[in-house]
Amino acid sequence: MTNTLSFNIDHGYLEGLVRGMKAGILTQQDYNNLAQCDTLEDMKLHLQCSDYGNLLSSAEDLTVSVVDSKLRENLVAEFNCLRSNALPLLSTFLDYITYSYMIDNVVLLITGALKQRDVAELLPRCHPLGAFDQMAAVGIARTPTELYSTILVDTPLAQFFQDAVSECNLDEMEAEILRNKLYKAYLESFHSFCQNIGGATKDIMCPILEFEADRRAFIITVNSFGTDLSAADRSALYPTCGKLHPEGLQQLGKADDHQQVKAVAHCYPDYKTVFDDPEPGSEYKTLEDRFFEQEVKLNTLAFLQQFHFGVFYSYIKLKEQESRNIVWIAECVTQRQKSKINNYIPIFH
Amino acid sequence: MGALFRSEELCLVQIFLQSGSAYNCVSELGELGVVEFRDLNPHVNSFQRKFVNEVRRCEEMEKTFTFLEQQISSSLCCPVSETLSIPSPVPSAPQPRDLLAIEEESERLATELKQVSENRDSLRSQLTQLQQYRGVLIQTHSLIDSQAQPPPPASLDTSLLDNGPEAHLSFVAGVVHPWKVPAFERLLWRACRGYFIIEFQEMEKNPNVLETSDMTQWTVFLISFWGKTIGQKVKKICDCFHANTFFYPENTEERQELQKGLQSRIEDITQVLFQTESYLQQLLCRCVSILPQWKVCVMKCKAVHSILNMCSASVTDKCLIAEAWCPVRKLLLLQSALTEGTRRSGSIVDSFYNRLPLSSSSSPPTLFTTNSFTAVFQSLVDAYGVAKYGEVNPAAYTIVTFPFLFAVMFGDVGHGLLMVIAALWMILQNKDNKNTHFKNEMWRTVLAGRYLILSMGLFSVYTGAIYNHCFSRTLSIFPSSWHLRPMNWSDDTLRGSRFLCLDPNTTGVFRGPYPLGIDPIWHLASNHLTFLNSYKMKMSIIIGVLHMTFGICISYFNYSHSQQWFHVLLVLIPELLFMLGLFGYLVFLIIYKWLAFGPGQSDRAPSILLHFINMVLFTDNKETPPLYPGQRQVQSVLMVVVLTSVPVLLLGRPIYLYYHHTRRHGQCATTEHPTITDTSSINTLLGDLEGGRREQEEQEEFDAVEVFMHQAIHTMEYCLGCISNTASYLRLWALSLAHAQLSDVLWMMVMRTSLSSRGMLGSVVLAGFFSFFALLTVSILLVMEGLSASLHTLRLHWVEFQSKFYSGTGYKFSPFSFTSITNPL
Repeated sequence: MTNTLSFNIDHGYLEGLVRGMKAGILTQQDYNNLAQCDTLEDMKLHLQCSDYGNLLSSAEDLTVSVVDSKLRENLVAEFNCLRSNALPLLSTFLDYITYSYMIDNVVLLITGALKQRDVAELLPRCHPLGAFDQMAAVGIARTPTELYSTILVDTPLAQFFQDAVSECNLDEMEAEILRNKLYKAYLESFHSFCQNIGGATKDIMCPILEFEADRRAFIITVNSFGTDLSAADRSALYPTCGKLHPEGLQQLGKADDHQQVKAVAHCYPDYKTVFDDPEPGSEYKTLEDRFFEQEVKLNTLAFLQQFHFGVFYSYIKLKEQESRNIVWIAECVTQRQKSKINNYIPIFH
Repeated sequence: MGALFRSEELCLVQIFLQSGSAYNCVSELGELGVVEFRDLNPHVNSFQRKFVNEVRRCEEMEKTFTFLEQQISSSLCCPVSETLSIPSPVPSAPQPRDLLAIEEESERLATELKQVSENRDSLRSQLTQLQQYRGVLIQTHSLIDSQAQPPPPASLDTSLLDNGPEAHLSFVAGVVHPWKVPAFERLLWRACRGYFIIEFQEMEKNPNVLETSDMTQWTVFLISFWGKTIGQKVKKICDCFHANTFFYPENTEERQELQKGLQSRIEDITQVLFQTESYLQQLLCRCVSILPQWKVCVMKCKAVHSILNMCSASVTDKCLIAEAWCPVRKLLLLQSALTEGTRRSGSIVDSFYNRLPLSSSSSPPTLFTTNSFTAVFQSLVDAYGVAKYGEVNPAAYTIVTFPFLFAVMFGDVGHGLLMVIAALWMILQNKDNKNTHFKNEMWRTVLAGRYLILSMGLFSVYTGAIYNHCFSRTLSIFPSSWHLRPMNWSDDTLRGSRFLCLDPNTTGVFRGPYPLGIDPIWHLASNHLTFLNSYKMKMSIIIGVLHMTFGICISYFNYSHSQQWFHVLLVLIPELLFMLGLFGYLVFLIIYKWLAFGPGQSDRAPSILLHFINMVLFTDNKETPPLYPGQRQVQSVLMVVVLTSVPVLLLGRPIYLYYHHTRRHGQCATTEHPTITDTSSINTLLGDLEGGRREQEEQEEFDAVEVFMHQAIHTMEYCLGCISNTASYLRLWALSLAHAQLSDVLWMMVMRTSLSSRGMLGSVVLAGFFSFFALLTVSILLVMEGLSASLHTLRLHWVEFQSKFYSGTGYKFSPFSFTSITNPL
């Protein structure tokens, strides 16, 4: 299948489509213009000149959350267009993209149910890319086993549940652990799926997914400091498909402060820069932002090759980053924080 | 011709628009479409401009219109395709109070519409819900009936086993989307561990249901279960599948009572819904009648404001200053538009314009006034590049050369005539209705080129007559000038030999040339191809050299227009000498050989190729006798001229420029910098003043290396190009050969076989074969070959001809005009 000769027969149209949509990603010039805006109305006017067109013009009174939801709607519409035209293998690949959103949705609903929130109130907050039929019923489960055996067994998430099933009661901590377990299974499965496809898809997607796995390992470690998560439990959550596997993960498992994590990262040139102290003079960036920067860098690389599925994944991720950027700028504009407005992550320089 | 030779004269005008009448003036200009406005604040963001609020208001209105249009297309019963077209007469740009009226009216209409349609939608959903409820009651009745036997014992059992109110059998009834039925059932089963009974039944189609957008066939379900906990779960699951559940009374009488009540409510709501619907239709009809007018008005208003945004305000804020390009001969129109605008707004102070001198920094746009005949030729040139202002426009010559070069490749009387007929038909088609009823884009393109096709067809008829070709056959209009009788062949010789040679040296066999084109007898000759190839090859070279030399000569007009006389001496003349010395001489040799060597001397005729090679190599071959006395001397002189013209071309211009520069620099050193006095253009008022000065300094900064490099590249390109371009014209020969051979093959393979069959059957076969022949002729010989020949012609024009004089780095004059905004097609 990875034959580049026959790729265009099935997926050529969609690849062309996604490359065309990629051309609509905002440029540095657009960001410069957006950063000059004084109100959301000005931003709307600017976005009208871009590929977003009249997206925001139908909104009555503009708030940041309206902008956010409109951008998300746009992304979902584009994704659904791709998904409904996709042929097998690409369709599976696109489904894989949605699974990560499903996991987030499930965990969101569980934690919401634990806090006695109404399901109707929670549903709009779920990401529409990860929507599934049984979503609203997630709240009736009390243990992961019950969750699995009654509700999720029919969803595509079932395959990731083999390791995650446990009998203990669901609490907030457990939900978070469940999320990480699911994510670990998901990433490993996605990674092996891409590896089986081979060819350019493998060359592009595996580094991205490996980076994703390593990022999760780092974040889990950093976030576990000061909680009662034991080192052994922590190690069980690390996705094993990344570059850190196995030595790095072992060392991360032993780490118990930020300095040690940094020491681990220093052994890997890719992550060294992420954990490096910021150069004097440049502004401070959070760890999250630096990981995002790295991710954007990896995703832009996907467009350098042809005949592979990576462009679809990268497009969705880049577009998500773009939405985050726009929302960030919109926040800064409404709260009059002009000094921080340039903290977005530019996509194509 | 005059209008096509060079761009029309344009001037930069500064228009002072009094703030009271600016809007009306610009709207008048928009109706006329004579000026192209320049953006005077390019560095200002679109939302920081002066009239941004007005533009936004227009956009808001457009949004309302889109809403109205959506409503019309979704809810109006009668078809509206023709009613929403552009109104006639087209309304002019609205005055501010009219705009206000439009705004109010449209908003009122939109809110009313929104209310009514919301009302209708809620009524509809109520209705569907009631109908669903009724459906559930009716359907479940039969479900319950089918298991009607158990109830009596069950009631007994329950009385026995009654150990709490939870153990009571309860029902949940409702409707669910049919796609979700399997997942719904499975989830229920899993969650309740099978302690329930569920029945599904498709809802009967209700004939009374109104035509609504959602026509799904819902599935009715009835769940019976015991216990409260399960009941909660069931409720939750129903919610999550968006199933509508209804209150379900347990005994039959209550259910029937309920059903009756529902029936009457349904009737009431249907009544109300009907009323609402008719009111909605009334509103929509009003929309349809007025919406097109409004749309045009607002579109114009928005366009005017975006033009006003490009103007800069004067210091006193009393007037706006616009800069625009305007054709000189339309200045009077501009003046009258300004007066009219002032009059309409009732202002006392006149708006006026002021002609600015052309600055060197910005070159004017290019405008050629074309008519329907010349437009297509102009667009052929524009596709390569729009002429710079003042540059000679090759379109004027293309009108003749394009069809001619095409016809050289396409020469066939029959095919040409077919083409002419097709073109004439298209012209007649297009006479009465202006291009409107052809929606197909491809067809429109062909239609736009109808005059091109006509002239190509006419020229093809001419060249076909020269080649003596008509559907690959010859036309014997005149008797052949070759005669058999003087050869005195006996009958035996004629019968016995396949080929006989007519000797033109025998008196009486060849009596002078054929009156028009090629003698038809050549078609029978075995050396037909050899003869035609030699002829067409030489003809291609001659046409090519003429065409290119003509291109070089045209560059004279460019130089003379920009007063660069040194270019004529240092570029044009060496180029011309190079071209004529080599290839002009070749053409001379060809023609000389044709004239000097008749049939008598044909055995002694020298090869031009050898002569030409000898000339370039300066060798003197004893085996090739000279064509004319003194040939060697002439050729040596020519070669010396050609070779000296190359260094002149290479070094002349850079050295001249360098010399000129150093001399002027010497002068400048003594005098002070001339201060810029010409600051009448707004652009040069403030920031650009420094820019202008910098530019001037840059101009004086003479980069000798760059000029030299450019000239070296140009020289190399030109000298090598002369050789390769001449060879490129051989495509004329190649394609005309291909066309002739292809049509010959078609005749031989298809028509001749069918013509050889006789009798009744023969005529049937002929009819069949002829249709096949006609189909192939049109599709392959006319369409395909025609396209390929026009592509080659296009290349000959763009690469070989235009590269000699045309830069094509200008931009088109695109006036601000409402017609181009309101109907963009």
